[in-house]
Amino acid sequence: MVRTRYFFSETFTSLKRNFFMGFTAITTVAITLFIVGFFAIIVYDIQGIMSSVKSQVELRVYLKDEISEELKEYIEQEIISWEETESVEYVSKDLALERFKKQMEGSDILKEIEGNPLPASFDITLNNPEKIDQVELRFYDKDGNFIEGVDDVIYERKVVKPLFSITAIIGTIAFLIIIALLLAAIVLIFNTIRLSIYARRKEIEVMKLVGATNWFVRIPFLFEGFFEGFAGSIISIILLYFIGNFLLIKGERAIVDIMRIKELAIVGSGNVMLYVYVGVLVLGGLIGILSSVIALRRYVKV
Amino acid sequence: MNMIEFKNISKIYEDNTVALKNINLVIRKGEFLFLVGPSGSGKSTFIKLLIKEIDESNGNIYIAGRNVCNLKSSRIPQLRRNIGCVFQDYKLLPNKTVFENVALTLEVIGKPAYEIKIRVPQVLKLVGLYSKLNSYPYQLSAGEQQRVSIARAFVNRPPILLADEPTGNLDPGTAEGIMKILSRINLIGTTVLMATHDRNIVNSMRRRVVELEEGEIIRDQKRGVYGD
Ligand SMILES: Nc1ncnc2c1ncn2[C@@H]1O[C@H](COP(=O)(O)OP(=O)(O)OP(=O)(O)O)[C@@H](O)[C@H]1O
Ligand SMILES: [Mg+2]
Repeated sequence: MVRTRYFFSETFTSLKRNFFMGFTAITTVAITLFIVGFFAIIVYDIQGIMSSVKSQVELRVYLKDEISEELKEYIEQEIISWEETESVEYVSKDLALERFKKQMEGSDILKEIEGNPLPASFDITLNNPEKIDQVELRFYDKDGNFIEGVDDVIYERKVVKPLFSITAIIGTIAFLIIIALLLAAIVLIFNTIRLSIYARRKEIEVMKLVGATNWFVRIPFLFEGFFEGFAGSIISIILLYFIGNFLLIKGERAIVDIMRIKELAIVGSGNVMLYVYVGVLVLGGLIGILSSVIALRRYVKV
Repeated sequence: MNMIEFKNISKIYEDNTVALKNINLVIRKGEFLFLVGPSGSGKSTFIKLLIKEIDESNGNIYIAGRNVCNLKSSRIPQLRRNIGCVFQDYKLLPNKTVFENVALTLEVIGKPAYEIKIRVPQVLKLVGLYSKLNSYPYQLSAGEQQRVSIARAFVNRPPILLADEPTGNLDPGTAEGIMKILSRINLIGTTVLMATHDRNIVNSMRRRVVELEEGEIIRDQKRGVYGD
């Protein structure tokens, strides 16, 4: 039999009585979930940025001028046959000079160039940028010199390496902060429920003596815990909404402009924010229920 | 039919106080029984065992033929719904009105709101407190609180009613009023067990009397009196 009216009025009375504790718990949940959501968005976006950046990484293999046509073709076939290779482009000496000129247009440097000092190269785009070291090694022989026909191998290691470790560090710190906050939120809700149980211990005793089941006694407290978690998540969603719309999107546009990244999944595009909202709601409800279940297990015995 | 049966029941509290010693007793359906004895003789312990507020140390208790000693904890609520209990200390909830206090028994069973609205005023009329429906316990006299407690115990018409000193601390007139209510409840077939040391009431009612002394039954008398 559904006793909704009874349970709601019990829950409401309890919330009123413990207003200050409840308020603290709700605020903590709100802050916690806000930070969780915020980091979720940031991590999502950094990943987006990373994959755009990563996919732009390429390996450039400079060839010696005197390389034979057969050797050049052999190397090209080799590169194509590797599974890490996404695509490979042959840039001849002429093409390289042409590109260089275009890039340096109007610069004095051009006047000083005589003939064509630029080497020909293979520009390799990898499908998995993390394999870049492995691929590079194939251009060395066992003595550590470049293989025949190859003059040098370069790639943008300086950009790639730090970016990888920065995400790892941010991720770890965020994770630790989130865990600590989640625990704090659980402890606080646990405490409000414990106080409610304490305030109503006589009522609980009487209810049980007139034949209330454990569940009948527990439900108002579960509602109370759930309400606190839920209210906290609603507040954090409102905060996330404003932060997302007014700060993140602008910040990301700036990053996109600076780094010249295309195809970036910006906040507000796609369903990113929606997923975060749903996640925050579910998490809030779970925190509330979990905390009250722990409190009830400890304080409401048969 | 045997409503309540105690077989070799003993109760020893955690601090080794022996409250009941090897009690054997049968109470039949529809009976009215006084449990008398001096303070500390084990009357409240007897009643608490029946609603399983405490567990016996030894022996078996049968209620309506069923052994309740090894009852699963999930079955205890069901047992309590069939035994109304008027507590020695009333156990009314101070922040709830008379109506709400009495309604609790029905809320707990999951009775619908409309039924609660009919039944609670009905039982309050029976105990003569209809006019105090919206009062809080602190606004009532001791006798009135006692009657609210009776109303709460009886509102769902349990087959058994236990009353622990329901006339304690009341003047003779008020006590008589409460006895009338209990008699009326007994008259409609409810088995009533009342613990008391009110000599006058026991003597005027002439019902079965079981006397306890230091946890033992020293007398069991039909149409008895309080004592010598
Ligand atoms: N929770 C308890 N722990 C230890 N001893 C207890 C407990 N409750 C009661 N006792 C002891 O058990 C004995 C019987 O107590 P009980 O309350 O049953 O007496 P009673 O007949 O109801 O007395 P009264 O007429 O004063 O209400 C007493 O000696 C009492 O001190
Ligand atoms: Mg007593």
